[in-house]
Amino acid sequence: MRPPEREYESNPTSPRIHPQARSPSLSPSPKANGHVANGHGSPMNGSSKHSKSPVPRVELPGATIYDDSYIDREEYIRLVIQSLRDIGYIESAATLEAESGYVMETSRVAEFRRCILEGTWSEAESALEHLGVSENDGLWEAKCHISQQKYLECLESGRTSMALHVLRNELAPLHTDPELLHPLSSLVMCTDAADLRQKAGWDGAHGSSRRRLLVNLQSYIPSSLMIPPRRFVTLLDQARLQQISQCIYHNAPITPQHFSLYADHTCDTDLFPRVTTTILQVHTDEVWSLEWSHSGKFLASASKDKSVIVWSVGPNSNPEISLYLHLQDHQFPVGCLAWSLDDTILLSSCEQLIKMWNTESGALIRTIEAHTEPVSALAWVPDGSGFISASQDRKINLWGSDGKQRDSWGITATRIIDLAVTPDFTRLVAIGESARDPILSTPRSDAAAASATARNGNNNTAPNGSRTPEYLMIVYDLTTKQPELSVSLGGQLTSVKISSDSQYALVNHAPDEVHLWDLFTGRLARKYTGQRQGRHIIRSCFGGVDGNFVVSGSEDGKVYVWHRDRGILLDVLAGHGLGSVNSVAWNPRNTQMFASCSDDCTIRLWEPSAGGTDGDSASRLAHRTADDRSHEGELNGKGKGKGRESWVEDISASRIL
Amino acid sequence: MGMSYRRYLAGARVYGCLSCRTHLTTIHSMISRAFNGQHGRAYLFEDVVNVIEGEPNDRQMTTGNHTVRDIYCCKCKTILGWKYEKAYEQSQKYKEGKYILERNLLVDVQ
Ligand SMILES: [Zn+2]
Repeated sequence: MRPPEREYESNPTSPRIHPQARSPSLSPSPKANGHVANGHGSPMNGSSKHSKSPVPRVELPGATIYDDSYIDREEYIRLVIQSLRDIGYIESAATLEAESGYVMETSRVAEFRRCILEGTWSEAESALEHLGVSENDGLWEAKCHISQQKYLECLESGRTSMALHVLRNELAPLHTDPELLHPLSSLVMCTDAADLRQKAGWDGAHGSSRRRLLVNLQSYIPSSLMIPPRRFVTLLDQARLQQISQCIYHNAPITPQHFSLYADHTCDTDLFPRVTTTILQVHTDEVWSLEWSHSGKFLASASKDKSVIVWSVGPNSNPEISLYLHLQDHQFPVGCLAWSLDDTILLSSCEQLIKMWNTESGALIRTIEAHTEPVSALAWVPDGSGFISASQDRKINLWGSDGKQRDSWGITATRIIDLAVTPDFTRLVAIGESARDPILSTPRSDAAAASATARNGNNNTAPNGSRTPEYLMIVYDLTTKQPELSVSLGGQLTSVKISSDSQYALVNHAPDEVHLWDLFTGRLARKYTGQRQGRHIIRSCFGGVDGNFVVSGSEDGKVYVWHRDRGILLDVLAGHGLGSVNSVAWNPRNTQMFASCSDDCTIRLWEPSAGGTDGDSASRLAHRTADDRSHEGELNGKGKGKGRESWVEDISASRIL
Repeated sequence: MGMSYRRYLAGARVYGCLSCRTHLTTIHSMISRAFNGQHGRAYLFEDVVNVIEGEPNDRQMTTGNHTVRDIYCCKCKTILGWKYEKAYEQSQKYKEGKYILERNLLVDVQ
């Protein structure tokens, strides 16, 4: 059926050099290339080089690629030809043009493309008009783009008088607003070509600027005439994004391994972290807080037992977990933790004190006593130059990485419970209780009148006569320190985290909700429900590829996992003992691992089940099994650094969907 | 139990723990000053915050038999007084669910 192809190599000395040379030299428009108008042996059949042995045109009925398909055959084939050319299969593209009778683009489009890329500007302008771009289609604007490129190139090559000529005779008449022309004309003052490129934000005639110009001009030319670049791949990318949006457990990096064109993408749920692979059992009291180092190699845990433990977690291929540091110099339970950006300093808070620890030696660098009530939040600023502390004493302080105070926000409106800084360094989100502290109930023996007044006069009055505290989320502008948004919410707020793109704040809200606030619009974007929280500090976090998931602790002792954008509850993970799961933390470098901590004194690491199809995880299972056996005796003894469950049978990971 | 922050109170007079100044109650919540504790004068309050309650036990008081629980400061763990769980004398029933704080263990805070 297929004609012999080798014969076309009529010019073996330059087989693949001039892709455009394969375009037909004469053709009115692609539509005219339809098989009716296009007889055999006409110049439309691709390159004239094929004329020696023309590829037979295949005549097909209908206009779509399948009888029951809506996809237009000509459009489809032209995209295929474009992709073939992009890849470098020049001969195949020419053959396909010949066989189908469709060309990727007409010779006029090819000519226009050549003019832009070669910088023959006056020819480019007339080519543009020949393409049928009229004043209505923005010919004027398109010419403006061309003249601007011409002007910049003249300046770049030192032809200043030519540049000024272009400015006066081409750009000035096109720009009705002189204000728009000014930035361009001021470029004449640039000292040299490098200065020009920098000031104009333009990468020069030999950079990508001509190709960019072509992309800009493309919008003025009908896409049926000049196909947008990489059109086929663009469509395939759209299909990929659509498939990801349908994949609720999506946690895979974008690699050819995870995205095949042969099958729709869907993530294997076995590759989702939902089973306990490790239980860390050294703390002797409730574990309240967890933070991963930025490297993902260390996990810090803070406990009511007045200590912090830094756990060392081996690389994915060798997941050995060990107690690395036990920081015990705390007089009271430890509430929060924060790793410096380079992971060399760990901060811990203990009542009103902040402690700075050297994470290599475990030495206490400094104890900071600046707050008068418990420190409730610690957050390094995104440039690593220091950190922010907040407290129940309503103060927010800024510290240098040396532990010296840089700034103070004074007394704010709230007894702060948590705060977070957006990674783009623009906002600070604080949550807390309004400073209007509650008044305790009036004794019944008191005059009934006083009690009645209190009840009627205050909407915040609870039935027992005490004022209900007001809970606030306040978004501050970091540069001005002024609140840009303050929202009063009905229940206690216990945790705030910011998404990596700085757009969302994740806030735990009693009773039983986690809220997603859009900081760009100042609106509540989504609520996640299912977890239990009433009186205690329960924390949540984002995690996984692109922060696709939300995880939260819960007072029912389970871990809750939702799909961030769709709000679907994916997993309710059981395993921890009595009491609350107080906090969760997703490993920033391993999208398939997160940790949870509980009143049961333990920390659990959650990972994919060993039965996953991933070869790496299978080898890990083997490794861990061997490891467990060799340590079996020690595991049963008290005081051992870690305990590992036989995670296959014991774990009850109840799936909701 | 889980993590929580101590509560803070407001009002004309806020009583705190003498050793660590943790807020405990306010004058609005006071029912009577006419009580005696182990350290002298004691006050009866409608409501007290930031305390941990101990195990219940029966005590013979001057006003009869009561089931009470010792109350501790949640921060420094000092025993501050007790809570009446049950009064066996009908005339003493009004004390049930109320708290005794020893005056000498209190300090005005704020
Ligand atoms: Zn105390």
